Amino acid sequence: MATQTVAVRRPLAMRAGFIRSAFAILKGLWITNRHFWRNLWGFIIRKPTVFTVQFPEERLVQPNAFRGMPVLVQMDNGKERCVACGLCEWACPTDCITIYPAETADEIERYPRVFDIDMSRCMFCGLCEEACPEEAIVMSQNVEICAYSRRGTLWHKDDLLVPVDKLLDTRLFHVRRGYDR
Amino acid sequence: MGLEILIAAVKALTVILMVLSLAGVLGWVERKGSALIQDRIGANRASIFGFAGAGLVNTMMADPLKFLTKEDVIPTGVDKLLHTLAPCVNLFPVIVAFAAVPFGDTVEIAGRTIQLQAVQLNVGVLFVLAMASLGVYGVVLGGWASNNRFSLLGGIRGSAQMISYELGMGLSVVVVVMTFGTLDLQEIVRAQGHMIGGILPGWGVFYQPVAFVLFFIAGIAETKRVPFDLPEGESELVSGYFTEYSGIKYLMFFMTDFAEIAVISALVSTFFFGGWQVPFLGDDGFHFGSTSMALPKLIVVLLQLASFMVKVLFFCWFQIMVRWTMPRLRYDQLMRFGWKGMLPVSLLNLVVTAVVIVAFQEWRV
Repeated sequence: MATQTVAVRRPLAMRAGFIRSAFAILKGLWITNRHFWRNLWGFIIRKPTVFTVQFPEERLVQPNAFRGMPVLVQMDNGKERCVACGLCEWACPTDCITIYPAETADEIERYPRVFDIDMSRCMFCGLCEEACPEEAIVMSQNVEICAYSRRGTLWHKDDLLVPVDKLLDTRLFHVRRGYDR
Repeated sequence: MGLEILIAAVKALTVILMVLSLAGVLGWVERKGSALIQDRIGANRASIFGFAGAGLVNTMMADPLKFLTKEDVIPTGVDKLLHTLAPCVNLFPVIVAFAAVPFGDTVEIAGRTIQLQAVQLNVGVLFVLAMASLGVYGVVLGGWASNNRFSLLGGIRGSAQMISYELGMGLSVVVVVMTFGTLDLQEIVRAQGHMIGGILPGWGVFYQPVAFVLFFIAGIAETKRVPFDLPEGESELVSGYFTEYSGIKYLMFFMTDFAEIAVISALVSTFFFGGWQVPFLGDDGFHFGSTSMALPKLIVVLLQLASFMVKVLFFCWFQIMVRWTMPRLRYDQLMRFGWKGMLPVSLLNLVVTAVVIVAFQEWRV
């Protein structure tokens, strides 16, 4: 079968004429120049127009709804609020929470002797926070869970405790607003 | 005699240092400039005692040091001599080409007249063009000696591109030579010292605007940078003719890239923007029509040097802007543009110039 040649008639805009290309080049130069001078001026007057965040030195403040790694709420007397009911352990889809309950003579009689979260398995889903009846485990802003070994990604109770007054305005506020709704 | 040699050596050293430091600074301008264009911050990590100089330290010191300490890999099956020779052949003509470019008028020190030009050549234009063409040997050798298909393709593309664009470049320079009637670069700059009608500087660009555009485009093609970076073409050829290079040899190719920008900028400003000429500035001070302002000779010389540097830096910057604006041409587009666009236009420009010069003898500069 003989091949057929079909002449496609392009619209005018697609035909590159000399004048058109010259204008296109000038237009491109105009755009790059605009960015160049605007950003350069931003650096000179120390009000950067680029939105790069120099991460280790600069950090963004995340909104309260941000789910980072889960932490344990530490009460004012230094103890954890957790009563080791095991609901978070049960709710956790990746089984990354390990709790060994124990008893004390305090007003709150139960407490977790061991509360480990394997951060290499945690996926920051927040189901433990939803399951918790005591507001004892909440999501934090921290996502920096890197470690040099597997053992290092296993966070123990002492590493996870965060004072309650640090969380009241941020995540606990957000959680309580969620309950009210 | 000894003093003569000393003066020549000092001038040669100055030129080499100028080219190499300009190449280093351009590496920084390229990185930071591209960052500014693309709304980024750019290189800023390396520092010396906490001084990063907005990344200047990085590209001026850290980059060369890094390249110097890296292993120089010579792949199996390469022609070792040619593989080593290629970066040298690439870098050498670029630096040498700068020798003929005048960066200032004559100065008199202790009764001695010193030309601010590394070598006084009465065929400077030919020398510069010859050296600019020699650069392609490095590309071809590097591509041939690397025992790598990508390198070979890059080398072939490089040679084809050089041949196509050398013609347009040469013809546009011929037009300049016809206008000013000399092959000496210093004389060409001197001829651009007058004012047209007392307001417009008598620069080549106002006599030969078409030649300027052609020369600049051909110059960018000579530097093998982005609209014409087919020999490198990293999306197609890994990194073209220097794919197989590492360590200090890679740095030499890298330096060549930036030194070529500097040379092309110097040539553009020499041919078309009056080299070291400052508008309204004569030998003894500024002259605005009837009023004049006398200046000591030293200030005049410094102003001329500054003028040359400003022009060179402007064109370097402009080439970097062009590099971050344009997409790469396809191979056939490149060839079509060179042979069917640049060549006829430059020939036409040549003919028109010749006719005008013969017809109106008194218009000659």
